[in-house]
Amino acid sequence: MKPFSFSRIGVLVLLLAGLGMIVSCSRSSFLDKKPNTTLVVPSTLADFQALLDNTAVIGQVPVLGEISADNFYAGNNSWTTLDVAEKNAYIWASDIFGGQGQDQDWDVPYQQVFYANVVLEGLPGVRVDSSNVTQWNAIKGAALFTRAFAFYNLAQLFAPVYDSATAGTDLGIPLRLSADINAVSVRSSVQQTYDQILYDLHLAETLLPSAVPFYNRNRPSLPAAQALLARVYLSIRDYANAKLSADSCLQTYPGSLMDYNTLDATVSYPISKLNTETLYQANFLMYTQILAGNFYQQCVIDSVLYQSYASNDLRRVIFYRTTSTGSPYLKGSYNGTAYLFGGLAIDEVYLIRAEGRARMGDYNGAMADLNSLLSTRWRMGTFPGFSASTAAEALDTVLLERRKELAFRGLRWTDLRRLNKEGYNITIARNPDGQIHTLKPVDLPLYTLPIPPDVIAFTGMPQNPR
Amino acid sequence: MGFIKTVLLVLLSATCLLEGTTVYCQSTAPTSFTLTEKNASLQKTLTDIQGMSGYTFVGEGDWPKMAHLLSFSVKNVTLKQLLDTCFRDQPLTYTLKGTAIIIGIRPLKEEWVHGYVQDTNKQPLSGATVYIRGSPSEAVTTKENGEFRIRTHYTDAWLVFTNFNFETRQLQPEDGKDLIVQLKDRIVELTDVSVMATVHTGYQTFNKETATGSFSKVDNELVNRRVDPYILNRMDGVTSSVLFNKNLVSGSNASAITIRGRSTIFANPDPLIVIDNFPYSGDVNNINPDDVESITVLKDAAAASIWGAFSGNGVIVITTKKGRYNQAPRLSFNTSLTVGQKPNLYYQPILSSNDYIDVEQYLFHKGFYNQQVNNPQHLALSPAVEILYADSLGQLSHADAQTQLDALRGQDTRRDLDKYFYRHSLNQQYSLQLAGGGTRNQYFLSAGYDRDLSNLVRNEYNRITLNGNNTYCLVPQKLEISTGLSFTSSKMYNNNSGTISTIYPYSRLADANGNALSIPYQLRASYADTAGGGQLLDWHYRPLDELRNADNTTGLIDYRLNIGARYTIRKGLNARVYYQYGQGSTDVQNYQSQLAYSTRYLINEYTQPGPGGTFTMPIPLGGIFDDIVTSYQANNIRGQLYYDDSAIAGGILNAIAGAEMRDVEGNINTTRLYGYTKGEASSMAVDYVDVYSLYSSGQQTRIPYLDQKTGTSDRFVSYYTNAAYTYRHRYILSASARRDESNLFGVKANQKGVPLWSVGGAWEVSKEDFYHLSWLPFLKLRVTNGYNGNVDRNVSAFTTANINNINNIYGATNFLIVNPPNPSLRWERVNILNAGIDFSTKKNHVGGSLEYYIKSGKDLIGQSPVDPTTGVVQFTGNTSDMRANGIDLTLHTNADIGRVHWNSVLLFSFVRDRVTTYKASLGPVINYFYPGTPNPLAGHPLYSVYAFRWAGLDPQTGDPRGWLDGKITNNYNNVLNSSDLSNLVYKGPANPPYFGSWRNSFNWNHWEVSFNIVYKLGYFFRRNSISYTSLFSGISHGHPDYERRWQKPGDELYTNVPSMTYPANLSRDNFYQYSEVLLEKGDHIRLQDLQLSYDILRNNVHRLPVRSIRLYGYANNIGILWRANHQGIDPDYIMSIPNPRTLALGVKVDF
Repeated sequence: MKPFSFSRIGVLVLLLAGLGMIVSCSRSSFLDKKPNTTLVVPSTLADFQALLDNTAVIGQVPVLGEISADNFYAGNNSWTTLDVAEKNAYIWASDIFGGQGQDQDWDVPYQQVFYANVVLEGLPGVRVDSSNVTQWNAIKGAALFTRAFAFYNLAQLFAPVYDSATAGTDLGIPLRLSADINAVSVRSSVQQTYDQILYDLHLAETLLPSAVPFYNRNRPSLPAAQALLARVYLSIRDYANAKLSADSCLQTYPGSLMDYNTLDATVSYPISKLNTETLYQANFLMYTQILAGNFYQQCVIDSVLYQSYASNDLRRVIFYRTTSTGSPYLKGSYNGTAYLFGGLAIDEVYLIRAEGRARMGDYNGAMADLNSLLSTRWRMGTFPGFSASTAAEALDTVLLERRKELAFRGLRWTDLRRLNKEGYNITIARNPDGQIHTLKPVDLPLYTLPIPPDVIAFTGMPQNPR
Repeated sequence: MGFIKTVLLVLLSATCLLEGTTVYCQSTAPTSFTLTEKNASLQKTLTDIQGMSGYTFVGEGDWPKMAHLLSFSVKNVTLKQLLDTCFRDQPLTYTLKGTAIIIGIRPLKEEWVHGYVQDTNKQPLSGATVYIRGSPSEAVTTKENGEFRIRTHYTDAWLVFTNFNFETRQLQPEDGKDLIVQLKDRIVELTDVSVMATVHTGYQTFNKETATGSFSKVDNELVNRRVDPYILNRMDGVTSSVLFNKNLVSGSNASAITIRGRSTIFANPDPLIVIDNFPYSGDVNNINPDDVESITVLKDAAAASIWGAFSGNGVIVITTKKGRYNQAPRLSFNTSLTVGQKPNLYYQPILSSNDYIDVEQYLFHKGFYNQQVNNPQHLALSPAVEILYADSLGQLSHADAQTQLDALRGQDTRRDLDKYFYRHSLNQQYSLQLAGGGTRNQYFLSAGYDRDLSNLVRNEYNRITLNGNNTYCLVPQKLEISTGLSFTSSKMYNNNSGTISTIYPYSRLADANGNALSIPYQLRASYADTAGGGQLLDWHYRPLDELRNADNTTGLIDYRLNIGARYTIRKGLNARVYYQYGQGSTDVQNYQSQLAYSTRYLINEYTQPGPGGTFTMPIPLGGIFDDIVTSYQANNIRGQLYYDDSAIAGGILNAIAGAEMRDVEGNINTTRLYGYTKGEASSMAVDYVDVYSLYSSGQQTRIPYLDQKTGTSDRFVSYYTNAAYTYRHRYILSASARRDESNLFGVKANQKGVPLWSVGGAWEVSKEDFYHLSWLPFLKLRVTNGYNGNVDRNVSAFTTANINNINNIYGATNFLIVNPPNPSLRWERVNILNAGIDFSTKKNHVGGSLEYYIKSGKDLIGQSPVDPTTGVVQFTGNTSDMRANGIDLTLHTNADIGRVHWNSVLLFSFVRDRVTTYKASLGPVINYFYPGTPNPLAGHPLYSVYAFRWAGLDPQTGDPRGWLDGKITNNYNNVLNSSDLSNLVYKGPANPPYFGSWRNSFNWNHWEVSFNIVYKLGYFFRRNSISYTSLFSGISHGHPDYERRWQKPGDELYTNVPSMTYPANLSRDNFYQYSEVLLEKGDHIRLQDLQLSYDILRNNVHRLPVRSIRLYGYANNIGILWRANHQGIDPDYIMSIPNPRTLALGVKVDF
């Protein structure tokens, strides 16, 4: 047999090594190809915009507040079939979640915060120059707006009503300001909560474009930030600043109110989502059963509310319709879909300025704002025009019209919280199961929802007393 | 590495010891002889023997010149054995007298021996060499029909039969009889009793004898035993440790085939399928089983780790047929016809029409339908509810209503379905093959055509396969080039889903003349009748017309191109290069003409009323054409060195090393055309941007936009080596190592790779000198350990976002974050320890193997829950572990009962897998019941059957009762939502831990009968029962358990079916559905199939115009022999209808 030929083997090993080197040189570029064209590591402005354009996450607002408020009743035994959190929130039960975690009213706003933080942390990696500075600023402003909006919505449910005397010690919500999921969630104080919201919004004011987009209404603009500021100031009863912000908003956005006479009241969704009043589009979380399109008939409008609309008030037919037995139910709202509008619109800003003016003693100014708004709401030529002779009278009129104009916008719960803090003494009662449940103004703990049990279990943060 | 070194040292020192013993024996025991001769004369050899033993020798005549030269090596043999070796095949004989060896001349007896050489398929083998042992010069070759004639010179001469591609055999001819000799594939020298098989790993082919790893092989005979157009089905029930899972639930990440249990949770669970050396990227159903030579299943680390990161679920290697050198062209034709029964539509129990209408009446009187009746969206009501409603309004007299309801009570949708939607299935297969080769080339060509008319009317599958491969020996002994081309084209007609879109069980689909009838669906009949005042398209749903008008086809084209070269550098060392290009596309074309309900529905819904009673139609008239094209292109290239030498330290070294690159690019294109009319090829633009109010509900929405294009790219670079060293034919040591690198997304380059390895050893005890068990002449022990891998390409180390399929409500592209950053991401690994025994008794009467293994899945991708305040609810990472252990037993027996040869193979597998670490809690116990996801719980199998403890029905109300924290309760919410897992009872695995088959075949003359019995034992399933919630809401058909429901106190003594309540309580229904009373044992034994064949050979029938004809029949899905449940449920078909029985007849002709 031939002796083992080392020279030939050697040549071969060299050849193979050479081949290996060629492979190694090209392999890093070979292996750099994306495994799926639908996968992205967000790193460009377009990527960040696409994250903020995810309206299935970003444009969603909690529903448990509206369910706890007094705009509707669950008809036809529908209460029994509701999801556990909706069912318990409806009767202000002390336990809302029945031991179930993954509550969307908590999780989705924090998901929005996470998206906003991913964008805010990614933006410094994008070089700013004259060609992209406007977009860069707009995206940063939008992320700040998104985070503030989420924090605000969370605070309305899970933090106690703002009280300047105790806000420094009352427990607010966790303020997550980084996308790092390893950071521990800790509750801030109520004061810190609102300070952060206001800080983010005022910073956003300096960055956002002043025009409301005609089409992409999910993208925040300066007027939207100003409207949100007005809403936040109103919720902490800083009426002077609320009026100021509302005023700047109406100056930045001179867009017109819709004349309801031009709407077709016979169709299911008379108001288009691209209407002239909408500043920022958002809608209620889609898990809701009682406040979604298919259930509208079970969502019976509170009769006091329904009767408060005059017969020539077009909102009676634009907002509502009646079943064959005459019971009024929802028709849909400012976004033309089965999910209720939870965003910002100019009518709310008029009402905030009117309330601010009334509270500042400017009752004529308040009535002027109110009349500008309501003249577009009544049947052509029938609007009587409102007037007031005292600030208190003006305030009462504004608050009543506020309830009528902004019903089912997710605002009533916050109003109940702040008005009862001021002694308005509004008591709500419900009877879905043969027992009468009431929510009295003195039941302060019931105005703050408990934090979902899984969050408590993970973080050990203190629970709200209930 | 330390471990490998230690093993090497131990084995080396063991072999040294054995050598030492031999030397010692030789010097002290003169009665045993050890002697090696090389090309020595007999005389020299006898002189050597004389020196060792003192025996002298003497002979007659010129014997030293007559004797052949001798080359042999013997150890510790007796003198007689030694002399037998020396005089074997000599023209001389010897006798012992005292201490003298007397040499005589063997008496001449000239004789002709006549016979035929065949392969194991009884195909004649031409070009085989036949010679007399000891006189290779006197050789003849077999003719085209395998016939040979050779002249022998002595009475007890041995004949040797060899052929390049076959194992050599030696036989002694019997007087005057034709000798029929069958040769097995491949040349390997082995003892008669060995369990011979070659195995293909996709990288190399070797004899199973020299393997340390665990392989199962489905040989050609077994591949052909079953008549089925799909290759993988032919493995079902005949392959050890391979479980075919039925009852797959989508979303649960279960695989249709598992090899040795489960070792991943969320990553790909499917075994790797290798065809012609490379992983196959297309659909394995494209392979024509007639083109398949054999299938090898690689089960343990030593066998499969050569496939590295792809091998964690086992590997199935499909080897296609090739030609042979020196073989005359051989043409064969095979055809079969399979007829199947209609499926039994009554197998899945549903509520009778009578009971269903009773329930509807009950609900109607409770006011259940009021909401629907008044709904402004005009939701459909069932015919019975419409009658009740009309009755309640006085539009119909009570008597008329009753008559109409009674008519419905007598109807059953399944009658019409059976009549118009189902038929007997008919499957035709044809294949033609040509194989052969000269001295310098070999070739194989085949063409196949399959036509499958399924049980569903208007559904059909047609497949054409073409295959050709050639091997050219360009430079003899040096360079061989091979090429191959495989082509598949198929068309599937998918016009019938076998069911209709409505739930109520009393639909009539056709009138007496077979004309389609409309039934209420989506919209109320009264609304569909009048909507649009005649200006809209017909808005009725007619299932039979849907069937008749459907035009949904899937066209497929797939081909593979193989090029390979083998260059022999020196004897035992060669270099190989393989390249394979594969490309395939499937094109799903669904043309929904304007006659289709879905098209009419869309056009109508988007119709916009204009001023003055006019209409505009944003979705144009005409059909809608959906087209989904899925395609792939695969490039594989591999360079490999192959080393095979028997001269290394007295042993045989077998080694390969190589590198390969693999790139599979996939594309999916989805398009939709509106206003399309087939044949005119014109479509119309629609406005995807504006929002329209839907006609029936007023809801605002845009026209569905489906166009989409996505691409995937799987790239790998791998380096591998595999070596086996066989010493003295009995000690085998194997080792392999492989590194895979991939374009895993967002991972740093040094984390893109994973190194995997294996080591193994085997010991053929029966070859040892001290081994004397004559009844068990073959015994081999082996053990291996190593790592296989698995890829989950959905995770990443960076924050990754996915482009949402759906644009947002403003039409903007948007991203969904799928992954928070995970810098410590690793690949999944599976450690497998395997120990086995192979054995065989004398003449292979009983043989088989027994294996034990432990599989440990490590660093498995799993989810762990995270504080949702972070913005992420669950985090996906390397957080889980699994462990499986099991036993595989294969036992085959051979026996002759009179003239009948009986062969039986028993397969038994036991596997128990369980999740050992899983950090996420699924939360409330109810989540462990959800079938649509994997529900891992540490300590139990991934697919487990859990239940709630049952405390009987409440004697007062008929409510089901359960246990919570040790107390009887009917608070179902608390039971379902408890997070205390002690309220969950683990009943057993959902997949059978014991399974296998027992196959028997009987051969008599040219007849063969075989049948296969398969069994699955030791597992549980949950049977269906009544859920009032889903019955009321029209989601399910209900269940006849309804008739056994609790109705009055006392009923609880003989029934467990809860009373009907209104409104239905979902938690109550769920509790009952998941309680232990609805669990059944899945154990069953099935007579899977029966096969019968008869061979007519020209050797027997001389007037036969062809070489041979095989006639065969095959009956499949014959029936269950025994089952543990008493509900009449076939545990392989819990939610579906059992595969109907089929009967196939076929003929195979060899020309």
